[in-house]
Amino acid sequence: MMLTLDNLSKHFGGVRAVDDVSLALKEGEIFGLIGPNGSGKSTTVNLITGLYTPTSGTVSLNGRDLTAMPQHARTSQGVARTFQNIRLFGNLTVAQNLWVAQNGHEQRRQHFVSRWFRPGGEHSGDIEELLTFSRLASKRDVLASNLSFGEMRRLEMARALASNPRVLLLDEPAAGASLDDAELLAERIRAVRDRGVTVLLIEHMMELVMGITDRIAVLNFGRKIAEGTPAQVQDHPEVRAAYLGGGHDEKMEKASA
Amino acid sequence: MDFYLGLLQIIGVHTLLGLSAYVVLLTGQVSMAQAGFYAIGAYVAAMCTAMFGFHILPAILVAGLVTAFVACIVGFPALRVKGLMLVVATLAFGEMVRMFFFNFTWRIERGGELVGPNGAEGFRAIRFFPENGWETGDVTVFIWCVVAVIMAVLWWVDNSRAGAVLRAVGHDETAAQSIGLNLTAIKVGAMTAGGMIAGMGGGIYAHTVTHIEHLVFGVLLATFAIAYPILGGLGSVFGTVIAVVFIQGFLVEGLRFMGEWRSILFGALIVLAMNFRPTGLLGERMPRLFKPRPSESKLEPKGAE
Amino acid sequence: MDYFFFLDLIQFTVDGLLFGTTYALIGIGFTLIFGVMRKLNLAYGAAALAGTYIGLVMFLTFDAHPAIVFLASAIGSGLIGLVVYLCCFRFTPENYPMASLLASVGMLLFIDEVVIHASHGLPYPYPSVFRDAIIEIGDVWVRGDLLFVFFMCVVAMGILFWLLYRTPLGLATRAVSQQPRAAQLCGIDVTRVNMMTFGIAGVLGGIAGAMTAAAVGVLSPVIAMGLTVKGLIVVVIGGLGFIPGAIIAGLLVGAAENIFLLLRGVTERDIYVMLLLFIFLTLRPGGLFGNAQSRD
Repeated sequence: MMLTLDNLSKHFGGVRAVDDVSLALKEGEIFGLIGPNGSGKSTTVNLITGLYTPTSGTVSLNGRDLTAMPQHARTSQGVARTFQNIRLFGNLTVAQNLWVAQNGHEQRRQHFVSRWFRPGGEHSGDIEELLTFSRLASKRDVLASNLSFGEMRRLEMARALASNPRVLLLDEPAAGASLDDAELLAERIRAVRDRGVTVLLIEHMMELVMGITDRIAVLNFGRKIAEGTPAQVQDHPEVRAAYLGGGHDEKMEKASA
Repeated sequence: MDFYLGLLQIIGVHTLLGLSAYVVLLTGQVSMAQAGFYAIGAYVAAMCTAMFGFHILPAILVAGLVTAFVACIVGFPALRVKGLMLVVATLAFGEMVRMFFFNFTWRIERGGELVGPNGAEGFRAIRFFPENGWETGDVTVFIWCVVAVIMAVLWWVDNSRAGAVLRAVGHDETAAQSIGLNLTAIKVGAMTAGGMIAGMGGGIYAHTVTHIEHLVFGVLLATFAIAYPILGGLGSVFGTVIAVVFIQGFLVEGLRFMGEWRSILFGALIVLAMNFRPTGLLGERMPRLFKPRPSESKLEPKGAE
Repeated sequence: MDYFFFLDLIQFTVDGLLFGTTYALIGIGFTLIFGVMRKLNLAYGAAALAGTYIGLVMFLTFDAHPAIVFLASAIGSGLIGLVVYLCCFRFTPENYPMASLLASVGMLLFIDEVVIHASHGLPYPYPSVFRDAIIEIGDVWVRGDLLFVFFMCVVAMGILFWLLYRTPLGLATRAVSQQPRAAQLCGIDVTRVNMMTFGIAGVLGGIAGAMTAAAVGVLSPVIAMGLTVKGLIVVVIGGLGFIPGAIIAGLLVGAAENIFLLLRGVTERDIYVMLLLFIFLTLRPGGLFGNAQSRD
């Protein structure tokens, strides 16, 4: 198993944002995480990256327990994420945004002085390759704050890839996108998977999720209520209830009885 | 001629003060503590030469190291304090340092007289330069050699990955953490480096004026320190230097016409500058060391992801 | 520890608490401005001082009644507060807080120097009320002028609370301090609210400055830095943006300052006050009451 969550819980006072969630991602798959608003998807991502410490449970990557590791150490273990509301370094250029993100395991093994103080490193081959992959090569010297929205989203994903992660967590990458944009996003995610990266996709847009994921887990009120292939999840009654509100139907049935 | 040499000396030490604030400011930490570090450096270096007979070079290095150590210690609690509160905290620290030296007395018998810091009276007889035959010109050259070395180092850092990393942390800490940057190490490291530079600057300053006292190292100096990089812009070290030249040169020139009104001018100048050029004289953008390569392709599919 | 030391302790604490209300007012001023703009106005103490000097002018030229002097100080500070707003906060960019911060520091230096030049650096006598009245509670003497200071500050706080919770302006101010963009969308003129807040905070500062000068009996330019620093300490301990916190912290700092004075003397007293600030900043950065409101 690539990424494992074991009985992961996060309580904020009385609120159980994530309640006893267990997941196991296989290497090389595209795994979807869906659920209504407030179901705990983003909290789960934050638990995996280390922004939050779990109330109980563990997060493991390739058998290695990450739970006690601080955020910055998890990057060298191979965890990377994008943010739903894009958090680029607007005061740096496109290439520099990728440059500062080169904190993966192999990259850290470079000599300290060379890694931090060698001039011209922003023109390295790795960065060029990533720029080409993300179709941002012609924008390499543009300030990130001057990019178009679509370019910003591509850069957000490219930056996450800059540390050569094993697992990439995408937090609602299609937020506000049209169906056409979603098509292209789907292609990009498949291309990322083809590079050997396991993907955890948090999304609301069903067309995108159902189309590219291998398996999906569904959260509601912090608990996992279903898991399986897209087809299995789509037909799951509890999933439908969660999205459409099964409580009403029950009440109405009782009332008309 | 001596007047201009003296002015160059002031500009030199103030450049070091400004650069110390610049390094810290890159990481997003607005520090009013640099004047405090400057003070520590001044007293330590002066004690080294006047009380223990050091040569100026090791004295300044020791001052820098001691101050760096203190700055490192300050750097840790500073992490817990965000944004504006950091301004308050560092201001408080600066005042604590100043008041400490106001109360600090330690005098040693040397060459038949008592030398050392003497509380409110300050530290007199810091006479390394005159006692060793250094002329005004020699001192000025020495100061600017040190400044040049430090500027070169900072320029190098700015154009390497470290510079981009510092700025990334300054722009968005959450994102920086998510891409694997160790915030603690970076922010405390910047504070330590800033402390070292300020300490060295203070050490040199003490010897140019031969008499230091607590009053000099107050809020006004702390403001100068932070004003230089803000006014000069965070894009490059040259912004800070230009700001120092502009302010010190302007003020000193203004001194001729306005008499004692120069502090009033300083305040008004800052207010005006912040309204018209809030990102500083040279702006926020880093100038690049290497020329950009010609674009891969001018034609790229429009818009679509 | 004998009885007289204990008595001294109580005496100093009482004096400190009474005087602490001036710190509370300054703290409230800082907190009010931070509340609506999420920015620190470091020129606040200096503006308060300058307004107090305007009151002094009334005293020196017209030999005005103390009530007029205090009123002039308060109004003067309010007006200067508006000027500070226009110069430092109205036109500086929203997303670059360093600009307004540095501008306010520039303003602080500017005002300070103007005052020093105008007064030639000399201290002037300032009217103080009920100087000779003393109320004896057992062996503890409560100074009449300090009691008056306490009373005036409490009245000022009362009026502020009335403004904030019983008037439309107060409602608008509270709305802006919680969600400025939403407030704008509801039709509230945020610029006007900011201006009024600066003016009101200025008036509070003027009262604090007047009372400080009245308690000491002398007005001198060095008070500005002291007011600023003490005010900042108060908001740190009380929590930025939290008015009741500022009040309690003001009393606390006033008392603590006097106790340090008793224990360690004048020259070392301020170091300990700063240390108190430092400890609070590192151990409880959110203040005593640790509130962290997030907004857009």
